[in-house]
Amino acid sequence: MESDDDMVDDSVSMEDDFYSGDYSDYYDDPNDNDNDYCSDDDGDYGLLEDDDDDDQDALVSRRPQLGYTVLNEADIKQRQEDDISKVSTVLSISRFDATILLRHYNWSVSKVHDEWFADEEGVRQSVGLLERPVVQLSNARELTCGICFESLPRDYITSAACDHPFCRACWGGYISSTINDGPGCLSLRCPDPSCNAAVGQDMIDKLATCEEKEKYSRYLLRSYIEDNRKTKWCPALGCEFAVDFTVGSGNFDVSCLCSYSFCWNCTEEPHRPVDCNTVAKWILKNGAESENMNWILANSKPCPKCKRPIEKNQGCMHMTCTPPCKFEFCWLCLGGWAEHGERTGGFYACNRYEAAKQEGVYDEAERRREMAKNSLEKYTHYYERWASNQLSRQKALSDLNQMQTVQLEKLSDLQCTPESQLKFITEAWLQIVECRRVLKWTYAYGYYLPEDEHAKRQFFEYLQGEAEFGLERLHQCAEKELNKFLSGDGPSKEFDDFRSKLAGLTSVTKNYFENLVRALENGLSDVDSQAAAACSKTTSSKNTGATSKGRGGKGKGGSKTGGSSRNVDDTSN
Amino acid sequence: MKASRARLFKEYKEVQREKAADPDIQLVCDDSNIFKWTALIKGPSETPYEGGVFQLAFAVPEQYPLQPPQVRFLTKIFHPNVHFKTGEICLDILKNAWSPAWTLQSVCRAIIALMAHPEPDSPLNCDSGNLLRSGDIRGYQSMARMYTRLAAMPKKG
Ligand SMILES: [Zn+2]
Ligand SMILES: [Zn+2]
Ligand SMILES: [Zn+2]
Ligand SMILES: [Zn+2]
Ligand SMILES: [Zn+2]
Ligand SMILES: [Zn+2]
Repeated sequence: MESDDDMVDDSVSMEDDFYSGDYSDYYDDPNDNDNDYCSDDDGDYGLLEDDDDDDQDALVSRRPQLGYTVLNEADIKQRQEDDISKVSTVLSISRFDATILLRHYNWSVSKVHDEWFADEEGVRQSVGLLERPVVQLSNARELTCGICFESLPRDYITSAACDHPFCRACWGGYISSTINDGPGCLSLRCPDPSCNAAVGQDMIDKLATCEEKEKYSRYLLRSYIEDNRKTKWCPALGCEFAVDFTVGSGNFDVSCLCSYSFCWNCTEEPHRPVDCNTVAKWILKNGAESENMNWILANSKPCPKCKRPIEKNQGCMHMTCTPPCKFEFCWLCLGGWAEHGERTGGFYACNRYEAAKQEGVYDEAERRREMAKNSLEKYTHYYERWASNQLSRQKALSDLNQMQTVQLEKLSDLQCTPESQLKFITEAWLQIVECRRVLKWTYAYGYYLPEDEHAKRQFFEYLQGEAEFGLERLHQCAEKELNKFLSGDGPSKEFDDFRSKLAGLTSVTKNYFENLVRALENGLSDVDSQAAAACSKTTSSKNTGATSKGRGGKGKGGSKTGGSSRNVDDTSN
Repeated sequence: MKASRARLFKEYKEVQREKAADPDIQLVCDDSNIFKWTALIKGPSETPYEGGVFQLAFAVPEQYPLQPPQVRFLTKIFHPNVHFKTGEICLDILKNAWSPAWTLQSVCRAIIALMAHPEPDSPLNCDSGNLLRSGDIRGYQSMARMYTRLAAMPKKG
């Protein structure tokens, strides 16, 4: 039914120390004056900046990782040329043949070597690299073209390695129509239906027009990125960089040189802590709920292999996706065509679906069940929050931009402070942008968290609430409190206080979110033990107002709150 | 357009010259349009179609032979890969496995081969496909034979 093979499993196991911090204290703080956070946190900066310990949860936008490489067109060409040279040398075959082989084996040099040296004959056979012609041409002065059936002088006729004769004009038409059909032209074969001789770039160079040759080269370059399991194009509009990713290097967040960030695995925007499948489900859900997607959902389905929407325009249930995918599947059950029978237990499973549908049974029952299960209200709740965080993030991005281009300079003059000492403001905004993104995705996470896992839900909502609260506090500080210093008319004594407050909030929020991400990526696996305890502790301290107050009071004194937030920090080491 | 017309004319002359070459296939070009052809093919022996004569209609596109002709049965036929109402045929060479070296004649031969070797996994006619898939070969054969008699044989008397 689905093919997950191009999705690498993204459940990365990580040490979980999220809950060891004293959450009830974190929780009790909100009503206090925030200053104690900052002053007490000063001591922690050393720890925070010292980030050699765990690269896994690094914010990509701030700490570049080595798990991937961004490639420009020249890099790609160079790598491709190098790989072709390698194969051509080691196998003693032409560069054209090496290209055909590499493309066939998804540009994996080692795979080509393995297959070739294990069974050269078999590889030649399946790829279509013939060692000698399969037909014996007569010595006549004229030969008959196998497409237009004209008898023509020999020098009008040309052939692939098989020697099947076709005239140059027919070759031209054949090559042109396949090149204009798309990247499928890279696996071009001899036009003779019984022949599988490969037609490589040497033939293209000889027989295609300049424009077609150019197209072919583009497809070849694209193939090097698209057919290679280790590389992908940056999905940003108009960006021509590609990303080479080292599988197994922690999370999938990558940041292109064009400054666009995305999840390498599914090419959506970065979405930690939610996994790729949940993101896909969520995006599909959003699409299904918006009216204008109805048409495409009714008339087309995503190809189960490459996920492109394939429109049904024939009576036949046997669907063939467009090249280069060409995956064959059943329209009704979306199973692979080759294994169709086995999977559905004969043709009957498919049939029953259709019969029920005709009687209008399936539609009604299914719809009612759907409605009952996912009440629209629940969806609206999560979607609204997801979307608001999205908007809020966009706003923060433009504020950050405004800050960097205009405000910082102004502030520097007003406060008589070098711009280099105002970095904490940029950092705060970068943190806000990142946290908005995380928070947004926790709403998709929450939507799919099973209803019956009460303890988990409860704890999740608690953590999310805290995150929301912490982020609002930071966002507000950066947005509103900063304004005071921008509108004043001279250096303000309070600016230093503001600096330590904002820097403190930034680091506390950063830590909180990093831990949140890890906890959710772990599927809240500790919820039964510590989490439940933390929750009940919170509840009890809340219920007994006196205790709560008492704790809060102590927190205000400084040492207690500082201690607790340091706990959170410590645990990430 | 010019190339396709020239190619079709070649095929036409070939057909005229070797009318008796393949006794199972009779290809006829439309009187006024070289892009429209019909064919009469004989049901292969030892199949439920034996004894029947089936008419096919060809619509040849202007990009022929770079693109395949559209072919359908005009005669009713009970076959898993032929749509019972429209006569549409599910055959790979008429879709993505097409090659410009195929001819109308060789397409007819491929269709005769399909009649002898149905592919129940690619059904356009689900009843027929189901019979074969469930192993009810006798049921499939008797249905196919009945339709051959009803639709593809000259009426007696
Ligand atoms: Zn020719
Ligand atoms: Zn050949
Ligand atoms: Zn980019
Ligand atoms: Zn993803
Ligand atoms: Zn596909
Ligand atoms: Zn099916």
